[in-house]
Amino acid sequence: MFQRLDASSTPVRHVQIWLDGTPHKVPETLTVAAAVLQLRGWQGYRRHVDGSPRAPLCMMGVCQECLITIDGRANRQGCLEPVAEGMRIERQGGGAHDA
Amino acid sequence: MMPDARANDIAIIGAGPAGMAAAVRLAKAGHRSTVFDMNATPGGQIYRQLSESQVSDAVMGKDYARGRELIEAFTQADIDYRPGSRVWWADNDASGTSLGVLEKGQAQQWHARQLILAGGAMERGWPFRGWQLPGVMNAGAAQILLKQGALVPATPPVLAGTGPLLYLLAWQYLRAGIPPSLILDTAPATRYGEVVRQSRRAWFARSYLLKGARMIGALKRAGVPIHQGITALEAHGDKAVESIGYRHRGQWKTHSTELLLTHFGVTPEPQLARSLGLTHHWHASQQSFVPERDDTLAVGANLWIAGDGGGIGGAINAEREGQLVALAVLDKIGGVDPVWQQEKHSLLKARRRDLDARSLLERLFRLPEAWLDDQPEETLVCRCESVSRGELDRAITQGGAGPNQLKAFTRCGMGPCQGRQCGESVTRLLARRLDWTPEAVGYYHIRPPVHSITLGELATKE
Repeated sequence: MFQRLDASSTPVRHVQIWLDGTPHKVPETLTVAAAVLQLRGWQGYRRHVDGSPRAPLCMMGVCQECLITIDGRANRQGCLEPVAEGMRIERQGGGAHDA
Repeated sequence: MMPDARANDIAIIGAGPAGMAAAVRLAKAGHRSTVFDMNATPGGQIYRQLSESQVSDAVMGKDYARGRELIEAFTQADIDYRPGSRVWWADNDASGTSLGVLEKGQAQQWHARQLILAGGAMERGWPFRGWQLPGVMNAGAAQILLKQGALVPATPPVLAGTGPLLYLLAWQYLRAGIPPSLILDTAPATRYGEVVRQSRRAWFARSYLLKGARMIGALKRAGVPIHQGITALEAHGDKAVESIGYRHRGQWKTHSTELLLTHFGVTPEPQLARSLGLTHHWHASQQSFVPERDDTLAVGANLWIAGDGGGIGGAINAEREGQLVALAVLDKIGGVDPVWQQEKHSLLKARRRDLDARSLLERLFRLPEAWLDDQPEETLVCRCESVSRGELDRAITQGGAGPNQLKAFTRCGMGPCQGRQCGESVTRLLARRLDWTPEAVGYYHIRPPVHSITLGELATKE
């Protein structure tokens, strides 16, 4: 799990997003993948088509391990899309998440 | 050029140090370039989120000051900056380059007479057993979380691999109050001595070396164990990492952790350059393919590459190359100004010196070329299609004699990352099995789209 440092230099605005149907306030500078890692960690991020659990590796648009459903659109690169007020995010795992 | 395309004389792809410096220098000469960048804010990976830093310099270090100046100059200059834009295809001919751009979900077609590729680098995909488990991340990815939202691991991580970023992130975590529980470096301790003995280069590389020594010193004083010369690494766990294994001085050891952050150096992000069919060479010291550039950093008619996308030189060098390429473009379109020649001369001189010194770092952090051979055969090489080292070896035995044949045989490299994570591993494996050079083995044929694009997005075309 990742957590926000208390001693961060900039007070940041928050936006409300919905993750798997639950509302959360997250810093607006985060991308979707970063927000999920803060809220839920890497366990249960997503499931690969071969059935194995996967989570973001690169956070810079290369590895495609952060694929996630954003506002109803599946397989978005979560590391490239900034969070936005009211955004609805669903993890892709066939309902078999552990966390 | 398509009749309905948007056009600009000069386009730049990437808003990291190289792209920003090129655009700023062109603006100074009165030319307004169009800059496409994937991210929401300028800076690239190194200067990410600096316009609104989330973490103080006391944690991050002082090296980001230069980035702040550059971002400020970029923000104030007359530049057609387009964040959130992915260039998913490019086609170069005598008139310039046509580009397919996806800007915030909207498809556009562009034409640029002069194009500067400044797409930068990516962390090298480096297979080891268990690297696909949740809880294994690139060190660069963890640093992106730190920059983007002041996010740090809730429990102490293990950092493993090699290269300056490994120690920089460890030091930043130490400053943030969550030192790593263990640092594992594949570079043997003896290498540091060998490198420092290269006195002339060591002198020019002294700022890099001193910085590294200071960071390692601070980590050791804080009691962080650092093991140099590890020869194997594994991540263990069922649904996520629970522990790691590593071999040090011939002995296997295990260590409990839920987060393993790895770094095995960076390589040029190859996709656009490859899809344009540019000639690449194997750079023996950087252990990677790099596109062939001439003295003006041109890779074709009206086409240039600046920064780490043309070979790894770091942020300061990328900025210099951005300026050099801007001057080359100005020569081409604006006539030759004698003042520019002087500017170019000093930039080239500084670049030569810096890259020469940097070759010392390449030696210091050299990766073991035989690493993949030593991996258990179930180790995944292609994460996207779950293709293991053993499957690739079987395909080679059955006559798969090149990267594209292996792709056809095994689907290796056919997943959504389009081979970015496995391409050079496949080249390496074939080179060793066939006893060819990596250059003779070559690389996947890369064709557009170089970013995933949906039919729906394509249909939004204006």
